[in-house]
Parts: sequence; structure tokens; C-alpha cells
Amino acid sequence: MNFIKRAFYSTKAKKGRTLLLTFVFSAILIFILAGLTIQSASLKATENAKKSMGATVTLSTNMENAMKKSSSSDSDDSSDKSDRPDPGSFSITPVDLDTVNTLAKLDNVASYSISSSTSVNAKSFDAISSEDEEEDESSSSNSSNGGNNQQGGPNSGMQMMRMSSGDITIEGTNDTATASDFTSGTAKITEGVGITEDDVDSNHAVIETNLAKANDISVGDTIKVTDSEDEDIVYKLKVVGIYKTSETADARSMRMTALNPYNAIYTSYTFANKVKGDDYKDSADSVIYTLSDPEKMDTFEKDAKKAGLDTDTYSLRTNDQVYQQMIQPLENVESFAKKIVILVSAAGTVILALIVILMIRERKYEIGVLLSLGEKRFKIIGQFFAELLAVLIVALVIAGVSGKFVGNIVGEQLLEQQATTTASTSNNQGGPGQGGPGQAGGQNLGQGRSGNFGRGSSFSNFGASSAKNAKQIEDLNITLSLKELVELGGFGLAISFLAVIIASIGVMRMQPKKILIS
Amino acid sequence: MMLEVKDVNYWYNNKADALYENVNLTFEKGKLYSILGSSGSGKTTFLSLIAGLDVPKTGEILYEGKSLKKIGLTNYRNQYVSIVFQSYNLLPYMSAVDNIVSAMEITHSHQANRKDYAFSMLEKVGITKELAQKNVQHLSGGQQQRVAIVRAMCCEARLVVADEPTGNLDEKNSLEIVRLFKELAHDQGKCVIVITHEREIAKECDIVLELKHKKFNELQFQN
Repeated sequence: MNFIKRAFYSTKAKKGRTLLLTFVFSAILIFILAGLTIQSASLKATENAKKSMGATVTLSTNMENAMKKSSSSDSDDSSDKSDRPDPGSFSITPVDLDTVNTLAKLDNVASYSISSSTSVNAKSFDAISSEDEEEDESSSSNSSNGGNNQQGGPNSGMQMMRMSSGDITIEGTNDTATASDFTSGTAKITEGVGITEDDVDSNHAVIETNLAKANDISVGDTIKVTDSEDEDIVYKLKVVGIYKTSETADARSMRMTALNPYNAIYTSYTFANKVKGDDYKDSADSVIYTLSDPEKMDTFEKDAKKAGLDTDTYSLRTNDQVYQQMIQPLENVESFAKKIVILVSAAGTVILALIVILMIRERKYEIGVLLSLGEKRFKIIGQFFAELLAVLIVALVIAGVSGKFVGNIVGEQLLEQQATTTASTSNNQGGPGQGGPGQAGGQNLGQGRSGNFGRGSSFSNFGASSAKNAKQIEDLNITLSLKELVELGGFGLAISFLAVIIASIGVMRMQPKKILIS
Repeated sequence: MMLEVKDVNYWYNNKADALYENVNLTFEKGKLYSILGSSGSGKTTFLSLIAGLDVPKTGEILYEGKSLKKIGLTNYRNQYVSIVFQSYNLLPYMSAVDNIVSAMEITHSHQANRKDYAFSMLEKVGITKELAQKNVQHLSGGQQQRVAIVRAMCCEARLVVADEPTGNLDEKNSLEIVRLFKELAHDQGKCVIVITHEREIAKECDIVLELKHKKFNELQFQN
């Protein structure tokens, strides 16, 4: 262990050199530690994002296949008609509850939200409407009465929907807590309670606060609605909760009362099915499954098929865009941090190797003396390594103290930059959440006794959710743990070892005679 | 016989310009040898051969009958030979005593209390404990050379070779160094080979070999 003692003497005697090495090594380690802490924080944040966010898979009718079936049956029946499908004959199968429950039992399903929507007319209260819409409705009615509407014509589907639509949307759900408006934060229960599984087969309802105020309705009151096609069919709903929505009425909802977000009433999906008719008993328009691990989305799809999901009738649409959008800046930061670690390690090794090479050249004479005394070459190299180790320990302490701060500054700036880039990219692409037809509503146009359409909540709320989640990742919790310090020590050791090995190639070739007798 | 040089030839670039041709020499323990020669005659190269710092082009060097190649040059330098250089060659970042203790550790000296032993040996050559604890660079040339000799004495090697050990010293110090070498040879029974160009130093040695015209000839001085 004589070489360790010599390393100590040398380190102690050559204070300038030791300080220089400590300074350089500290700088290298600070950057590596910053990279490691950012990387670790990004990974943790991604893990948390996975846990908190999950990803969704929507089970709904396979519209494409339904359309194809409709088209083929038309051409079979009437060869004289053109190949185009008849919108009036277009029929789709709602998702049956057995399938819903089978898929809900699969691994990785954190929660699921059943959606079944329809429309009704307000009876004991007034729906919130606009003047434009009244005018529009009257002109529509006139047009209809004028007999311009031809079966199978291009406008017939829309006309059917308009004729069968009421002024109130019934949003049937199994649990308001898992409904997309509520999970995204667009809607919040302000009074009373939401709809839960316990409300199955009940007439409980949750109404919007503006609708409640306008009609002086409070929790515990009973309201009446009528079937949109048959005013004689009256349904009583007991108000168990009031919610507030932050969704604003768009041009579409200004024209159609039922699409006004204030006119949405949440009930159990069983109530919505009851309004829609017997054909819709034990069914749903769509079901959104939230997965606990977004990365197992593909597995879920496979498992669903294995469990007997009829993919001709139903389709599974995956949606991890929120998760992806949320983690994209983190992944970029993590990737950048990884590159920092690799680059700084490589550069550090080269820099240290150069310093050690210069140091060894300067100490050629000392090496000659040691070789003349019969010291083994590996012990001489060991001495240089021990000297670097002593410097490494001091540099580790310095890096440990300052690395966290550097990591915080660099990490926050990186994340801010990445989040801004991601947000602007998302906006430029027109991204999800720009509105559009609601999936649940759109699927069931013209079906059932009542026109069935949603407010586009599944997609329209997606934007709000994205924005909210994008905000969540603006904070990166950069902490210094023992794991990072151990990793840093490992990197330091590897760098020291490589630097000494590179620099020692010369030592291995040195001849004491040439050094000492010249 | 401690050291035997057998049919040794050595040249640098050209065999025709060989420094020596078929050198055959023997060195006994307990004797002080000097190799005398003018500058460039190949004295130092010869030292590098017998010190295990280099190998002859042809021929061989035997230590107590064993070829240096067989012993291994590093092992030979570590266990069997001590070298004293003209420029002292001490480790510059250590004190005199630490230099000696380090050398004893490298050569696996059997001495029990190495530091005390080093102090006592340094004391013998006039290096006080106070001086011994100073960085060697703060000592004079003569003092540094004495430290280098004490290092050779403490390393337990039975062969000591010295290259111009008095080259940088004044007459008084030079004589003191020669006295130490004599003590090493006569009192400690070591074989000491001193390379020098100074006849006055050579005269003090038991056997003087002059390197001239690629040959070693023994010189006899009249006292």
C-alpha cells in the first residue's frame, strides 16, 4: 500500500496541481450530477404522470363496419338504386353491458365510464335557449312542412335528428366522477351528490347550476321531462345534485338548445336507455376505460379480443394523447439529460486524461526513480489513480452540494422550454380539443325513439384536459438522493479509471534508463 | 562471486560501433570497485547493464550465478541492486526520511521499525532528524547525495552501483561519500561499483577498472 502513501504525499505537496484537478473534476461532476438529477426527476415525473393520468380506450360501435353493412344491404335489396348508402336505413348496434363488464374486468383497467346519451324536452321547467335558435327551429319546421324533405336525400339524416331532438340532453353515466367532463375538471359538483353506480335504475339527476337558477330548482326537487317524440310520455327526475360547468356555449349550441352545455342533465345510463327505448336496455353508446398503465394499451386491446370482443360490431379506440402530450416535454428533458451525462462523461474523461498525461510527463523523472527502485508499473499507475481518487472524493462533495442547484436551474429552464415548444406545436397542429362532434352522440343519429346526440364532450374536453396536464409538468421536482450520489461516484470512478488508463499507456512504455540516464 | 559479466557486447545503432566487445568481468562482495573512463566511453551504459536498467546485445550478466533475464529486471532492481545516481534521484515531494522509508517499503525491507532505522542511518551520515524531516529539495547537493546513499544502504540489496556519485559535489563532500561507500563494502559486506571519471575518487577504491578502447583493464595505483 506504499503507492497510496506516495499518492497522499504527492497530493499534499503539489497543492496547485491538486486544486486544478479538483476544480476540473468538480465542474465535470456537477454537470454529470445535474444530468443525473434531471434524468431521475424526469423519470419520476413520468412515472407519476403514468399513475395519475393513465390512458383511455373507448369501446363503441364500429361505425365503419356499420356503414359498410348498411351499404351492402341496400344494394342487395334494390339493384336499381345507386351504390350510396341510405342514411335512413343506417343501423348500429349499441354496446351491450355484458361486453362492457367483461372488458372492465381485464387487467390494467383503473376505471370505466359508461356513456349513453339522448335528448328530451323540458316540461316542468324551461331549457336555456337563444333567440337565434328559435328562428332556426321555425324555419326548419317550415321547410319540413313544405314537403321538400325526401327520403334518402342528403339532408334527411339531419332532418330526422333535428325533428327528433329535444331541448335537454340526457347524459347517462354510471358515475359522474369518471365522466370525462368531471375528470377533466370542466364540470364540478357544487351541491348535493353526483351519479354513482347506486343510482342504476333510479330517476336521480344532476343538473347544471345555471339551469337550476333559471328555474329555481334545488337539490331534492323533482323535475319533469317529456319524450322528444311523444310529449305524452313524461319522466320524473329527482334532482340529487347540481354541477357547474366551465364549458362555454359555441355557435353550434347557440343554434341547438340541447347542445347548450347548461342544458345537460346527468342521470344514470339506465335512465337514458329507458328514454331511448326497449332496444337500448342494458346497453351503452360508448364506454371509456381508463388504464392504470398507458404503456399497456396494446395489451389491453389484445386481451379484449381474447376475451371475445366482436371487432366487427365494436371498435376500440385508444387515446393516450393526453399522456403523450404530458410526458413529451419530460421525455425530451430526460433524453437531453442523458445526452448531457454521456457528453460530459466523455468530455470529462478526455479532459482528465489530457491533464493526467501532462501530469505524467511532468513526473517522468519520478516514474524513473520508482522504476529504478524496482517498483511495479501497475503500482505506479495505481498511485496516479489513488491521487485522482482523493481529488474525486473532494469533487464529489463539491458536486453534491452544488449539483442540485445547477440541476434545478438547468432542469427548470429545459422543461419550461420543452413545455412551451410542445404547447405551441400542439396548438399549431390544431390538436385534440378543438371541438367537433361528440362521439357518443354522433354514433346514434336518427336511432331510437329519441334523437340521440351528445355535446361532443369526449373530445371537446380533451383540450381542456391537455392544457391542464401540460400545466402540471411545468414543475420538475429535482432532488438529490443517495442513488444519484452513488451513480455520480460510479461515473467519477469510471472517468478517473479511464483517464488514468489512457494516460498510463505512456508509463507502460517508459524505460528507466532513458529517463534517468540521459 | 557476486556479479559476473560474461561475453557482453553492446552497441546503440551499429554493431560496428560497439561500445564494448566481449567483456568478461567478475565482482566480489565486500569490495569497492570503480570504473574509470573518459566521457562517452560507455561507463554509464555499463552501469545501466549491471543495474538491470538495460540488457546487453549479446552475452549475459549473472547475479550469483543466475542470469538477470531469469531473475527479471524489475525483480532484480527491487531485490538485488541499489542504484545511486549523479543527480541523486530522490522523490521531490517527500522528506529525506520519507524517501528512505518509501524505498524500504518498495523493496520489502525486513527492517522492523523503518522510520527509526532511517533516522539512525541518516544520523550516521550527518543528516540530523530535523533535516531528515525537511523536503529533500531543501537539502544541499551533498546532503541529498548522502540521503541517496543511505537509501541504497537501507534497501538491503547486496549490490550497490553508483553513477558519478560525486559529480556534483565539492572535494570535502566527495571524500565523505567515498568514505560511506567504503563503509558499505567493508563493514556491510556489500559489493559497491562506482562509475567515475575522477582519478582521485577511483584511487580510493579497492579495484579500479579502466574502460578504454572498448576494453576494461584493471589499473594499479601506487600509494
